[in-house]
Amino acid sequence: MGKTLAEKILAAHTKDTNTDAGAIIEANIDFLMVHEVLGSRVIPILDEMGIEKVWDPNRILVVNDHWAPASDIQSAQIHSRNREFVKQQGIKYFCDVNCGVSHQVLAEMGLVHPGELVIGCDSHSTTYGAFNAFSTGLAATDTALIIATGKCWFRVPESLKIIVQGEFSERVMSKDLILRILSQLGPDGANYQSMEFHGNTINNLSVGARMTVCNMTVEAGAKCGLMTLNNSVKEWMIQRSPDTKWAEVQPDSDAEYIDEITLDISEEKLEPMVARPHLPTNGVSVREVEGIEIDQAFIGSCTNGRLEDIKIATEIVRGKKIHPSTRLIVTPASQETYLNALRAGYIEDLMKAGAVVTNSTCGACVGGHLGVLGPDEICISSTNRNFRGRMGDNTSEIYLASPATVAASALYGRITDPRGVD
Amino acid sequence: MENLLRGKCWVFGDNMDTDQIIQGQYLTLLNYSEMAKHAFEGPRPEFASQVKQGDIVIAGRNFGSGSSREEAPMILKELGVSCVIAESFARIFYRNGFNIGLPLLVISDITSKLKDGDEIQVNLRDGLVTLSKGEILEGNKLPALMMDILSAGGAINWYKANL
Repeated sequence: MGKTLAEKILAAHTKDTNTDAGAIIEANIDFLMVHEVLGSRVIPILDEMGIEKVWDPNRILVVNDHWAPASDIQSAQIHSRNREFVKQQGIKYFCDVNCGVSHQVLAEMGLVHPGELVIGCDSHSTTYGAFNAFSTGLAATDTALIIATGKCWFRVPESLKIIVQGEFSERVMSKDLILRILSQLGPDGANYQSMEFHGNTINNLSVGARMTVCNMTVEAGAKCGLMTLNNSVKEWMIQRSPDTKWAEVQPDSDAEYIDEITLDISEEKLEPMVARPHLPTNGVSVREVEGIEIDQAFIGSCTNGRLEDIKIATEIVRGKKIHPSTRLIVTPASQETYLNALRAGYIEDLMKAGAVVTNSTCGACVGGHLGVLGPDEICISSTNRNFRGRMGDNTSEIYLASPATVAASALYGRITDPRGVD
Repeated sequence: MENLLRGKCWVFGDNMDTDQIIQGQYLTLLNYSEMAKHAFEGPRPEFASQVKQGDIVIAGRNFGSGSSREEAPMILKELGVSCVIAESFARIFYRNGFNIGLPLLVISDITSKLKDGDEIQVNLRDGLVTLSKGEILEGNKLPALMMDILSAGGAINWYKANL
């Protein structure tokens, strides 16, 4: 029997002989990312375990991103602990508060390659599947065990094959595609599974647009979102990590899938999608929610804070003013993104339109800082989660959408179809 | 870890995500007992002050979806919750529960059988739940690895014992 992408990559990282879906294996980890959870939770666990040396200081990235720069005394304390740990252990890759959101900077630094097994101490670590790597999120205890041993146990996931064909219409983005797929699957529709993407639409996507799709697979409960290699990722590797050897991984033609979903976004004509509160899987066509008044419009995060996201938002608001009863907050996903947006003139155009541009951080997306919602406020956001209270007060409401739909909505102060904006 | 548990139930619905269990704004608190005061603050503001040692959390499908935050099971344990029984668990929460030594049991129709305040008895090893009127519900037996980790008191102790 042939193997899926998930089975193949995990099989290449274990000595265990049974690597079919359902098997429990012990795997060797290629790379680990950990953010503030290191300082708050992992270091105390390592102390309890009596671990004095990390397994490999060259295979760990530490990022201060969730509350960057520190939003209060506690986060400042956590950041200090991370800095101290990095210094003491000689960790090779460290991003302090001047880098950006972990998932974006890990990719920018060329630290993920096709065929690798990458773990992040964060649920959105599914993002790196865009690079033809198996990546998933774990929490503090598993992270401590990996820091100590370089190994972790996994249940090899069943795979769900998703084939997407067709072209995007104008101002329809990969965010709309993943919101559409999530609405079909529901919040646990892919629980424990690998969502394996195929088809010409996926093949034609930019690196950033692919990251958006893989990033949100966890919202259907998936363990990972996996894609085969395409030209945009190949070019990314040549540019970002020219000296590293890697080999692409393809699933076998006779691999076994638990189910298959086929979508033709030209035939069905994929529309801009909006996920209603309080689940990312509550996606509907923007036409069904048009007119709902908003207090805040937010563009940023590991899901949609990249240059192409800021570009499309800028094109929509350029030369206009955002609605006086709405605030538009833009948080570039990384310092590199910010600089490129600055050079391209996007930041100036956004600011002239009335947007607030913040430094790179997870910030508003986690209800941390730089855009927290007050009681009864309504926000349209390019982020990944609209859980109750996610971005602030428990009575606030979040609608998830693409950066294009968020920008269009900021102009009118209500949820707006970006296709109707000049 | 006790194999036989007896406790009073708190019943929750489907998709109780990690932001409902503990909101992101409290994650920088370094002290778990401080953080635990905010458990289920949105959906059940009375929970943290009224939950008693040994109480049991009952939930519908997809309990613990969302963030990887281990603080979610940790504060339930901190408050004395002895076990969570749900119709299904989100992947990372399931792993985290055992890692920190909080037993989790899957029983497919548990929310239709119980209401707040009901008392039940749980046999973890056999995956059995006895309701107050004597009805017995059968869940999945815990895999041997999970029982080993729980018996050790969590993954760290289990790791130390297996070095």
